[in-house]
Amino acid sequence: MESKIVMPGDIVSDKPDRISYAFVDKGKTYSTVVGLFHDGKLVPLEGPYEPLVEDQIVGVVTEVKFSGYSVEMNTAYAAFLSSREIRERYEMGDTILARVSMIDEVRSTELTDAKKLPAGRLVKVSSVKVPRIIGKKNSMIDMIKSSTGCEISVGRNGYVWISGSGNATLAEKAIRMIEAQAHTSGLTDRVSAYLKSAKQ
Amino acid sequence: MMGGNTANKPKLLVSGKRVDGRGVEDLRQIKIVARVLNDADGSAYIEWGKNKILAGVYGPSECIPRHDQSLYRAIVKCRYNMAPFSGMEEHGRSGPSRRSKELSKVIKEAFENVIIAESFPKTQIEIFVEVLQSDGGTRCAAVTAAAVALADAGIPMKDLINAVAVCKIDGEMAVDPGKEEDNFGESDMPIAFSPRTGDILLYQMDGLLTREELARGLELAKGATEKIRKIQVDAIGKVYAEPKEERFLVIK
Repeated sequence: MESKIVMPGDIVSDKPDRISYAFVDKGKTYSTVVGLFHDGKLVPLEGPYEPLVEDQIVGVVTEVKFSGYSVEMNTAYAAFLSSREIRERYEMGDTILARVSMIDEVRSTELTDAKKLPAGRLVKVSSVKVPRIIGKKNSMIDMIKSSTGCEISVGRNGYVWISGSGNATLAEKAIRMIEAQAHTSGLTDRVSAYLKSAKQ
Repeated sequence: MMGGNTANKPKLLVSGKRVDGRGVEDLRQIKIVARVLNDADGSAYIEWGKNKILAGVYGPSECIPRHDQSLYRAIVKCRYNMAPFSGMEEHGRSGPSRRSKELSKVIKEAFENVIIAESFPKTQIEIFVEVLQSDGGTRCAAVTAAAVALADAGIPMKDLINAVAVCKIDGEMAVDPGKEEDNFGESDMPIAFSPRTGDILLYQMDGLLTREELARGLELAKGATEKIRKIQVDAIGKVYAEPKEERFLVIK
C-alpha cells in the first residue's frame, strides 16, 4: 500500500484505533499532524522532539549547578545531569552525548551515561528526520562518515555533532540534504551520488 | 464604522456582480506558501486578494513569564500586528492597539480549541501574524495562514482550520468582503470553522442581520471554508513535493 500524506483532521481509520499522533472522536480516528500514513502507522513529517527513556541524545551544557548540569537538548524542558552519574567535569557550552534515564509527568528529564564530545560543529535538524539520517542499520550515517572522514554523533533529539579532521562542511551539506528530502525514497543513492560528485 | 461615508457609497451589487466583478459566492484569489522562514518552527505567507500576511509559529518552548505557565497544558499566545505601511489609514507605529489586541485575542481563542495543548505541559506556543498589506478580511486571512504555519511546525491539532467573512451588501448576503464592501456594506461577519466538525471557533458581527440572513451567511461561509481548506492542504503538500534546503519567500 502506498503511504499517503495526511493533514491535521484527516481521517485515518473508521474505527477508534490507538495510533500515535492520532486522536479518536465519535468512534473514528483522525490525524493530528502532517504525516505519512502507511500500514496503520502514522509518521509525522514535522514536529517537536518528545524525549523517551533510553533515547541517545546530543545536548549542550547550559548551566553548571552545585549538584550537576542543565542540558539543552532541543526541547522546551532543560534536562538535568547529576554529578553522581559522571566522572568527568563539564563547563558551560560543552557538548555531550548522553542517555535519557527518567522523564516524569511534567516532562522533567534526567540524563545518564554522559560523554563529552570533542571539538566540532553542531547541526540542528528536525528530530523526526533522525531515522533517515541514520538509515537502515546505520547505512546512511556510515556512508557519510566514510566518505567525509568525519566523526558524527547523531542524537535522537535532532542534534548532530560533526567532529574530526574530515570534510565537516560536506558532511553538514549531506545532512541538510537528507533533512530536506527525508520523506522521499531512493535517498541513499542520491546522497551517495552527491558525496561522490562533491569529492571530485 | 458601518456605512462609512454614505455620501461616497458606491453601488456594491449590480445585477449579481460585485465591485470587483465577483459573484456573491466567489472568494478573492488566495495563494498560500508554507515554510517561508528559516528560523521559525513553522511559517506561512498568504496573499488573499490584496491582503499580504506573514505568519510565524514558535514552540512549544519554555513558557515565559513563568507565572503564565500551566502544569497541565501549553499556553497559546498570539500577536497580530499591522505594519505601519499596511493600509490606507494611518496605522502609526506598529504596536499594540485596541484593534490589534482584540484580533490577537480572537485568533488565539480560535486556535486554543484545536491545538492539543495537553501534550506539552509548562510550555508556550507562540503565533505571530504580521499584516504587510491590508484590504479587508485580515483576521480571516491571518487565521488561515496561522493554521498552515502551525501544521508546518508539526504542532498537533484536531483540525486544519480557516476563516472567512460574510457580508450584507445592498441587501444581499455575499462571501469574503473586500475593503469597499467592508466599509460601505450593511454588515460584516467573520467566522472561523473547524472544517472537520463544522464547529464555529471565531464568530464576530458588525452591523445588523435578520435570522434568515444570518443562516444564509453561515451557509455561504461553510461552502467557502471547504474551498480554503483545499488551498491550505495544497500549500503544505507543496513543501514536500518540492523539498528545499533553504527557505525563500517566492510567490509565482
